[in-house]
Amino acid sequence: MAQSLVVGACPHDCPDTCSILTTVEDGKAVAVRGNPDHPFTRGRLCVKVNNYEERVYSEQRVLYPLKRVGAKGSGSFNRISWEEALREIATRWRTIIAESGAEAILPYSYLGTQGIINGLNVGDPLFNKLGASVSERTFCDSASCTAYMMTIGHTPGVDPESFVHSKYIILWACNTLSTNSHHWPFIEKARKAGAKLVVIDPVRTRTAGLADWHIQIRPGTDCALALAMIHIVVKENLVDHDYIDKHTIGFDELAARAESYTPEFAARETGIPAPDIVKLAREYATTPPAVVRIGVAVERHAGGGQTVRAIACLPALIGAWKHVGGGLLQLPIWAFPVNWPTLMRPDLQPAKMRVINTWRLGAALTGDLPAGPPIKSLVVYNANPMAMVTEQDKLERGLAREDLFTVVSEHFLTDTAKYADIVLPATTQLEQKDIMFSWGHLYLSYNNPAIAPLGEAVSNTELFRRLAAAMDIDDPFFFRSDDEMIEASMDWANPALQGISMEQLKQTGFARLSLQGPDEWAPHRDGNFPTPSGKCEFKSSIAEGGNFVVPLFRQGYGADQAGEPVDPLPHYIAPNENPATAPMKAEHYPLNLISPKSHAFLNSNYGNLPAQQVLAGEQQMVILHPEDAGSRGIVAGSPIRVFNERGSFEAFATLSADVMRGVVVAPAGYWHRSNRRGATVHAVTPPAYADLGRAPTFSDVLVQVATA
Amino acid sequence: MPYVVTDLCAGCRYTECVSVCPVECFHIDDTMTYIDPENCIDCGGCVPACPVGAIKAAHKLPPDKVEWVETNRRRAAETPVVTSRLPPLPGADERKRAIIRR
Repeated sequence: MAQSLVVGACPHDCPDTCSILTTVEDGKAVAVRGNPDHPFTRGRLCVKVNNYEERVYSEQRVLYPLKRVGAKGSGSFNRISWEEALREIATRWRTIIAESGAEAILPYSYLGTQGIINGLNVGDPLFNKLGASVSERTFCDSASCTAYMMTIGHTPGVDPESFVHSKYIILWACNTLSTNSHHWPFIEKARKAGAKLVVIDPVRTRTAGLADWHIQIRPGTDCALALAMIHIVVKENLVDHDYIDKHTIGFDELAARAESYTPEFAARETGIPAPDIVKLAREYATTPPAVVRIGVAVERHAGGGQTVRAIACLPALIGAWKHVGGGLLQLPIWAFPVNWPTLMRPDLQPAKMRVINTWRLGAALTGDLPAGPPIKSLVVYNANPMAMVTEQDKLERGLAREDLFTVVSEHFLTDTAKYADIVLPATTQLEQKDIMFSWGHLYLSYNNPAIAPLGEAVSNTELFRRLAAAMDIDDPFFFRSDDEMIEASMDWANPALQGISMEQLKQTGFARLSLQGPDEWAPHRDGNFPTPSGKCEFKSSIAEGGNFVVPLFRQGYGADQAGEPVDPLPHYIAPNENPATAPMKAEHYPLNLISPKSHAFLNSNYGNLPAQQVLAGEQQMVILHPEDAGSRGIVAGSPIRVFNERGSFEAFATLSADVMRGVVVAPAGYWHRSNRRGATVHAVTPPAYADLGRAPTFSDVLVQVATA
Repeated sequence: MPYVVTDLCAGCRYTECVSVCPVECFHIDDTMTYIDPENCIDCGGCVPACPVGAIKAAHKLPPDKVEWVETNRRRAAETPVVTSRLPPLPGADERKRAIIRR
């Protein structure tokens, strides 16, 4: 038996981007394990990916193109050839373009894989060239990115490995042990050297359970806490005046703004006792090196953008950036010199394009559109909207439209794929080649394919080569090989890639960016913020241009941004839906629902696979405080209905005092068809945008719960 | 359901598992190690680290080993945490060779 070990990298939407060793025997992948040589992976994967080979060889995999034969959504398909599939797609698109214009075509994708050539931007050049509607993909981190840009620019921030030097670590809205677990040993090492770990989270998660101090906070009120911390460090003169004078602008205005954000104000908003807020601010300011790691969850409410604006001001106020292991960690992706314009090709766009925000897909498919033609064709890849976006009843109605030509590229017949006219088989990470950035560490990774594609599955790069050919595009750009695309994807001359050769990268599978090491690197010791002024902008000059979504999430299209006025200084925006801000709604729907990630799923990936379903349950579970359950006659394990004016879903109740009274936790990612009555948590979530970056407000919602 | 140490550990107790675990969820007695199911984060790093393959995901245990789920839970509550690798028990290498030959 010929056995070999192939080094690759995990494709998933996760900060850890692990290095994976796949054991291949006679052309078949028999096992995967974490690469022990990778300093972040350290020989471990996670519950999602430990049995990745079972995903690859699952009998549920779609391996051949399919054409719908039954009613939409019935899941009845016949196998067809790739030739027939491409011919049908091209014919339908040409007709649609002739009748309605290319804007009637809408791509929908996100990070089923986050590989650089198969991921976020793989379809952008084609859809830009066709002039299709721009899919504005702001599912995740968009408010944070916009807020970040406004304050400290696109900096990678603190190296996660530098946390070993930190003495005060705040994990803010981040459940590290479930969604960033490879970072944990660095935090643990810091604690063994005397660091204090603070976790801010409405729920006593696994991570919060191991903290020195868990601060439970009302969902969506984190900005009040951050602003009160600013208030306290200014008032008690715990700020670093030297750093502020040299490397920031707008301190006087920020100080004046922060005056009204007293600890008492924050205590009323957050439910955290005022003395604790004062203690947190004082400890944070006087225990260098102090570092804050924010999670994605921090932005999922009305004031999500300003929350990150406020938090991003804190390190500069206390001079935390001067120390190794001091500052802020949010998205190290900005350290990777990726040739984003080459990936997206915004230069191919017509002068004017229609922008549709795609987490509001339900609205878009049922006629709620900016000017222009109705959507006549939807192209879904790297995503599963039926599991992950709001207004699911609208989405179902939209997908069921007979006049909508839907193409879905997938591994499995997801709840979305069941509505397709054509399903196209996609390769998994073991069957494709890619190069990977990370948004959680500073290692570039190479994914060597371990096995040949199963059946007739193709990589996304190959899918779009075939679609380009079918549409008679003759620009050789659209027919480059994977190797050519990988070569073109990175700015190899950039100092961050110095000393990294493609040969070495393919062989070892990973290389650390050529930056200073984690024991020396303090990226903003001397300022050098990538902002217009080069300084940390408490008062943001970019904010004067109004609200925007970073072009990376909009196929590179920079025009027609939302543009609403944005206050140049951080300020508090209360949640849309809590008992204080929506008292009439709260009379009927008194509980705040949050929808974090499930420990065993990755978004909706693995929601259909047995090993992960064993851990997460096959059906949606919802966690309530025993008192909230008791007063409703709900016992552990019993079926419940969660509802508000938008809709309802059913689940099984878990009771736990880890959850705050008045808060209900419904982990996202369960499939529609798995749940009682076939609805997911997104039957109740709101379509409202957060304040910046058109981020969603999925955790800013009031519900009622009752026995089912 | 997390990971579980089975009777294959007893007699060797290499503790390679302990050096990989990111959350220090291993407990120990004179015979073998145990995984605390409350602290295990299902990372699976211990599985390939064990020289004799003693660790399995709970739901993948053969019927005659299912009892080890409860044993791990009970014994983890009764025994101290082990945070660093220890020398294996006497005779461990011979025992390992016998297991691998099987």
